[in-house]
Amino acid sequence: MGESAAGKVPPLTIDGHWAFDYTYYAGDAASRFFAELANRRIMGTRCPQCLRVLVPARGFCDACFVETTDWVQVSPHGTLETFTILTTSFPGLPEPPLVVGYVMLAGASSAVLNFVDGIDLTDPDAAGTAMLGRPPVTARFKDVCEGRITDFVFTLDEPA
Amino acid sequence: MRPVYLHGSAVSTTWRDASRSLTDLIFECVRTALGTAGISAADVGATVLAAHDLVDGRGLTSMVTAPAAATYLKDETRLGDDGALAFVLGDARVRSGSVDTCLVAAWGRASEGPIDEIAHALFDPFTARPLALTEIAVSGMRAARCLGDFPGYGRWRGAAAARRGVRPADPSRVPATAWPLRAGELPVWADVVAAVVLGSQPGPVRVGGVGMSTEPYELGDRDLTGLTALRTASAQALTDAGVDAASIDVLELDGLTLFDEALAAEAVGAAARGDGMSLLANSPRVNAGGGSAAGYCAPAMGLVRVARAAERLRNATTSQVGLATGASVVAAQVQAAVVLEGA
Amino acid sequence: MTGPAELAILGVGQTPYRRRHEGSTPELVYGAVRAALDHSGLEHRDIDLVIGGFAPDALAGENCPDKRFLPAAGAVGKWSMRINTGGTTGIAAAYAAMDLLEAGRGDAALVVGVERMAQARSVPAVFNSIFDPIYERDTGLSTVSMGALRATRMMQSWGYTAELWARVAERNFAHAASNPLAHIRTAYSVGDVLTSRMLAWPIRQLDACPISEGVCAVVIARTSAAARQRGRPLARVRGRATVTDTYNMGDRIGRREGDLVELLTLRMAAQRALGQAGLASAADADVVEIHAPFDHAETMAYAPLRFCAAADGPALVESGFGHRDGGGPVINPSGGPMAANPVGATALIRLAECALQVMGAAGERQVPGAATAVATGQGGSTQFSTCTVLSGS
Ligand SMILES: [Zn+2]
Repeated sequence: MGESAAGKVPPLTIDGHWAFDYTYYAGDAASRFFAELANRRIMGTRCPQCLRVLVPARGFCDACFVETTDWVQVSPHGTLETFTILTTSFPGLPEPPLVVGYVMLAGASSAVLNFVDGIDLTDPDAAGTAMLGRPPVTARFKDVCEGRITDFVFTLDEPA
Repeated sequence: MRPVYLHGSAVSTTWRDASRSLTDLIFECVRTALGTAGISAADVGATVLAAHDLVDGRGLTSMVTAPAAATYLKDETRLGDDGALAFVLGDARVRSGSVDTCLVAAWGRASEGPIDEIAHALFDPFTARPLALTEIAVSGMRAARCLGDFPGYGRWRGAAAARRGVRPADPSRVPATAWPLRAGELPVWADVVAAVVLGSQPGPVRVGGVGMSTEPYELGDRDLTGLTALRTASAQALTDAGVDAASIDVLELDGLTLFDEALAAEAVGAAARGDGMSLLANSPRVNAGGGSAAGYCAPAMGLVRVARAAERLRNATTSQVGLATGASVVAAQVQAAVVLEGA
Repeated sequence: MTGPAELAILGVGQTPYRRRHEGSTPELVYGAVRAALDHSGLEHRDIDLVIGGFAPDALAGENCPDKRFLPAAGAVGKWSMRINTGGTTGIAAAYAAMDLLEAGRGDAALVVGVERMAQARSVPAVFNSIFDPIYERDTGLSTVSMGALRATRMMQSWGYTAELWARVAERNFAHAASNPLAHIRTAYSVGDVLTSRMLAWPIRQLDACPISEGVCAVVIARTSAAARQRGRPLARVRGRATVTDTYNMGDRIGRREGDLVELLTLRMAAQRALGQAGLASAADADVVEIHAPFDHAETMAYAPLRFCAAADGPALVESGFGHRDGGGPVINPSGGPMAANPVGATALIRLAECALQVMGAAGERQVPGAATAVATGQGGSTQFSTCTVLSGS
């Protein structure tokens, strides 16, 4: 005779660890984009078909499905198109609050994401509301560039 | 239902090409496949992709990678499963009449991630992971069973391995072995992209039939050397196409190791039980390009086999019939089979 | 040549949606599938295809967990495959089943969408890992901040406010209170939403979905095969479409064809699916389940679904649109994703809830007389959109 299947025991759990290390190949386009950051230049690539200047630089235009050709330097000045204020901490990142947003740089057809520094965030609602009007911003490079997107940050041209 | 034709295909096999990002590799292979089909991205009605998050090291890979496969403002979906299964879904899109042209693409870039560790994570955390199982270990168990049961496996393994071509010297390209597998019988890791264009208009290769089946997850519940799912899948595909196994001229069989390929040859009916290794050693019909030793990375391989079979049919001087198979992860739990007919 | 088969949903089975389930994944799947089969009147032997939906593996800490749970859905010896398109995974799995049925690869399919994200103890890190490792991960993007970037732009462009969005949240929570499967069943008020913890400005805790686990299973069949089920209610598939956009959110800022917050992909998918069903607008349906994990994201779908022009969205919210007693279409009678968002299942739940409504089988949350329903799906970087139209038999 078998035992009844209904006999309940406490559910078992075991601990697991999920960590896999990768080496991501940036490819020629992103490698050059990051190398140019060390020269304090923000570069885009132009699609020969739709003529958009894609920033950060891409090797191909996914809309037209053709390789990009020309490299174009865009202005460090642009418009803060949209943003958020991060209020929760995140492993491996600076302590919140942090402002991150998409900026359309002059001469670019697509917006680039980065941190926006130097904003008084003691009252996040006030700070956020004050920046809703698409304020002008400028990219500021760090003293030492490491070939990461965080080599530059944006700052507001006029205090919010 | 309407007939479906294969209009173009491409496979790229590279290793650690630092000049190319993953999306660059996908873009270039897809563009080549579209070129062989003589169409542009704008002509694609739908796209079916096969890629895996953990292999790609991207938490939701198709979010970042799909646009490199001509999906901009298109009907697109993605399997986290083998590329041959994606091919079957792509075939359905055209067969039912929902689109006229369907692109199928699959990839895996072994050089970016820890392939052995990823394979280990496939196994049950309670019952199998503590026992250090990987997919190579399962292939080792299959090989041991074959060597014990069938004298032909021991006799022909050397000759079959010799046909797999020259292996790269780089030790990071070959997994740690599991006895009784020898180095020349193992897969060679690669950065692999495959792309195929399917359409309703007559083309050089016709999709004759497809089949698929699934085995239990638990290895102890399976017939490890019988490959039950592949037997069912290939029988379905042959029936669907109205051909028998004996009339197949071109075989492209997906298997992680030489032994898995030999067992697949038996499962599809190309060799009698116990004779799979002999077939691999002696027949130019099977895996002419070297099989898993010519570059391997899941989940691209089933679509690679389909593309290789199509190439062989296109290059043949006579009208031939081909059979390609694709196996999913967890030691070939799901298998798909595709019959292709040359013009 | 015969045209595509007519398709219908015959049965739905769901686990409750909760923060955490103690059962194993195969056990949960088996329970939901058993319920879906029972509801459909079909037996396991009638099923030809089993399609599994599971989204980020890292959330479960298992690589390809589908291979472990599909046998529990009855896949052994049958066709099976796993779909993963992020947020749209569940509905993309249903579409794969429909595509195969239409091609004659079977008469009946089981679709199962699964989420086990409570197994991950590092959910934010997993959600950061979905972004481009080369250009964007270093900026701290997550699914919440990605949503917030859109919310801010909607405030800039159309004058939405936190108060307006809180009204949408309040309605979703009110509806969820009559859904016994919902994860959040507290009828939070506008005030509760506006004073909840800030996640990423302007999104607060109660503007956002919870982290939920659960399983949804749906039986789909060709209506020719379903004829044997005479007398049972059916949910007929009248239209469906899926559209994918570029990954790059920056490329959609100010894009001529459709800006980041204009949801071009949903506009295109809805146009096709509504057109197939002969509807001018989703407002012509009785029930609309909108796949939106945030209140602002629900309002972003209003213009693409043709409820109103984008600029008139705030006024539509102001009017009390979408309430159970509002006279117009009832939005999210289940409570929607803000009341339960198991990622790998959530888009399939939208379809399942619409099916239950047009079958008259939605219990406490039934909208009386519901005959037509529209379900949307949304995934990736608000990049994958689907729209499905169902009607009763
Ligand atoms: Zn272009």
